[in-house]
Amino acid sequence: METKAIQHLYSRVGFGILPNEISSLSGLKKEDVVAQLFSKSREADPLKIDLAELDDFIDNDSRQKLSRAIRQELRKKSRQKIKDYNSAWISRLVTTDQQLREKMVLFWANVFVCRDNHIFHVQQYNNTLRKHALGHLGDFLKAVAKEPAMSKYLNNRQNVKEKPNENFARELMELFTLGEGHYSEYDIKEAARAFTGWSFRPNGEFFLRQKKHDTGVKVFLGKSGNFDGNAIIDIILQQKQCARFICEKVYRYFVNPRVNQQHLNEMVAVFYPKYNIEKLMEHILLSDWFYEDENIGAKIKSPMELLVGIQRIVPLTFAKEKQLLYLQRTMGQVLLYPPNVAGWKQDRNWIDSNTLLFRMKLPSVLLNDTVINVDQKGDFEDSFEKYYADSRKRARKLDVEKDWTIFDLEFLALDRDEIRESLIRSKIDGDTLIFLDTLTNLDPKEYLVQLMSIPEYQLC
Amino acid sequence: MKRREFIQRSSLASGTLLVPNFLKAVESSVLGGANHKRVVVIQLSGGNDGLNTLIPYTNDIYYRSRPQLAVKSNDLIKITDTLGFHSQLKPLMRLYDKGYLAILNNVGYPNPDRSHFRSTDIWHTASGSDEYLTSGWMGRYIESHGQKPYNAIEIDDSLSLMLKGENMNGIATKNAKLLHNNMNTPYFKKILNQQTDQHLSEHNLGYLYKTMIEARSSAKYIYETSKTNPSKKQYPDNPFGKQLKTTAEFINSRLDTQMYYVSMGGFDTHANQVNTQSRLLHIYSDAVETFVQDLDDNGTLENTLILTFSEFGRRVQENASRGTDHGAANNVFLIGKNLKKPGFFNSGPNLNDLDANNDLKYDIDFRSIYATILSNWLGVEQKSILRTSFDTLDFV
Repeated sequence: METKAIQHLYSRVGFGILPNEISSLSGLKKEDVVAQLFSKSREADPLKIDLAELDDFIDNDSRQKLSRAIRQELRKKSRQKIKDYNSAWISRLVTTDQQLREKMVLFWANVFVCRDNHIFHVQQYNNTLRKHALGHLGDFLKAVAKEPAMSKYLNNRQNVKEKPNENFARELMELFTLGEGHYSEYDIKEAARAFTGWSFRPNGEFFLRQKKHDTGVKVFLGKSGNFDGNAIIDIILQQKQCARFICEKVYRYFVNPRVNQQHLNEMVAVFYPKYNIEKLMEHILLSDWFYEDENIGAKIKSPMELLVGIQRIVPLTFAKEKQLLYLQRTMGQVLLYPPNVAGWKQDRNWIDSNTLLFRMKLPSVLLNDTVINVDQKGDFEDSFEKYYADSRKRARKLDVEKDWTIFDLEFLALDRDEIRESLIRSKIDGDTLIFLDTLTNLDPKEYLVQLMSIPEYQLC
Repeated sequence: MKRREFIQRSSLASGTLLVPNFLKAVESSVLGGANHKRVVVIQLSGGNDGLNTLIPYTNDIYYRSRPQLAVKSNDLIKITDTLGFHSQLKPLMRLYDKGYLAILNNVGYPNPDRSHFRSTDIWHTASGSDEYLTSGWMGRYIESHGQKPYNAIEIDDSLSLMLKGENMNGIATKNAKLLHNNMNTPYFKKILNQQTDQHLSEHNLGYLYKTMIEARSSAKYIYETSKTNPSKKQYPDNPFGKQLKTTAEFINSRLDTQMYYVSMGGFDTHANQVNTQSRLLHIYSDAVETFVQDLDDNGTLENTLILTFSEFGRRVQENASRGTDHGAANNVFLIGKNLKKPGFFNSGPNLNDLDANNDLKYDIDFRSIYATILSNWLGVEQKSILRTSFDTLDFV
């Protein structure tokens, strides 16, 4: 397989590939390289952090007996643990061998968007995404619908027979499966009835509150019957539009933000009606069009792709978790804290004057100890003082430890052009290329930082 | 093309970013055309408690709902038979007396959302509560009018959704010099100075270069136009005062900016609200009064409209922690010299008629306020920016 194709593949289903790994793959056929990607991602490896001190939180029996003060304390700890989980997730992305699965998790987290402040439920949700990332869409949706975090986020917990809450049913169709215009307000009402009584226990297990569940006949998308939530999901999956809706998201994320209808149709034909996600991804990665020039370097990296991509070459240890959160906030993508149920908008929406400037400075901030003087916005919940707290210490450095071992091993032996080709996916602007050629006196580390600072590095 | 526009565009195009002083004078006195007007939007972030800001001091329900928090009728500034300002709002009262202040009560939208994030998004994008838009109303404004990042400025270091368009965005800065310096490190200079225009047609790569180049020229324009105009006013020494001072310096330098956005934090008063809110209202009204005077002294108040909102009001009923939780409709302040109906635009909240959640109902859709600002104040067509036409109100 050609080097360029391998690099493209790994920049989309992962966070880049190192030179030695390319050499080990370049003798193989495309089919073998792709098969290897899938086999590495075969088994989902749940991401868990130590939550022993919070066990009382999820004990079905003792939870009721906790005093108000203790419960408050647990909630506070839980919020802190979510920040720890954010760091742990990023470390996972930096170190994982399962690039494909983890990239899919990141993708699904922005399709089935959810946010919660209960760490056990957050962790469970995240691992449900991991488990089904390459599975079947039907199983995936049914699992997501039963997740406590989702149940709270979209008010399905409040959805009861006497007074249905339509929030989950609406977003299930509008944002998770069909898209606007492919169902009626009546369908939403009927679907909401089918999900009534879906609830969970403190330990995160799903259970049906029989008395709150509406067992009557529902009429949904032209079918009528005694539907429950699972049946609703099955009927949604019968709509070809569902396959098209998901395939379009997959295409924009993994192939190109501008959709080629012919390729999309081809994907829909593969995905429908079995909804096997692995087969769909395999089809894309084995196609010729995935590797066409128009798709290479066509996508603007998400903040996460940027941050993780840098760290797969120079791993970093953040002494202060807060500073890692600061970077995510300033660039507009804090994992586990999506802005709303529609998720991050991606591609060009990552970019404005301020974020682009910051993103182009990021490599020197991380790797060269450059001072940053950009304050993050305060939180809604902050006091007046805290809201503006950062602005008093404008210029500051990040407290990060850099590990150059991988870089030394992988890049020191390469010449300038080789380093450049390994890092930059997009075509390089002619003038910028001329500029890069003038940087002959820089040592390789500095050259790396410079390369990561050109606009082309923002693309993958 | 109008003469003023021609002067501005040609001077920008030729790289002479400073509009000579005599032209500035000409512009503001003779050619005060519609699009020379500007709006400053201030968000009281976190959700200001409107009921303790403008107090319905004769209302029993108010006093019954808030045994700990209600402001006593002898501890406020009475304005009408039923409503009074919080005692820390004396500066605002002075603006009210001058006829510079209009108060719109019960502003909100259908099916209110009680999440800070979501409700802020709704206000920023001018969407309904069931729509998720990717652009803000200010962003869409500059996309159809002006087309330069500096046409809308947020006084902060990062840009909010309100100023993001589909294909172009406003710019954020609370320190023009710093932004300018950041854009002019030797490295960026080298990368960008060499750019010829050929790559600008490339899809995303072109977009990145274009964004960088525009960002740099906007930063230069903002810095060079405003650096000679430091404010002579003494602003309250706090970060919000500083934001407004910077805003005044930009406005008084006659930047070609029609929209400014400032966010003031701290209003999420779930616990021990009384002292916190008093301080905040003091900081807010004190700084705003100085700001208004500063503009007035420089002849720019005439063309400036200041809108203050919160993403939501708070519950009528106080909570158990001497605070209030997230509510719905709230009051909005409009400040300016050209108000058609200064004072109270409509009557205060009806506490006898609350929504299903026992929160205040709205009478005025906030998008009607935007619609009025766009069509009556800035003189542009509202529909392309708000996507549907909303009734305009008779405040400007």
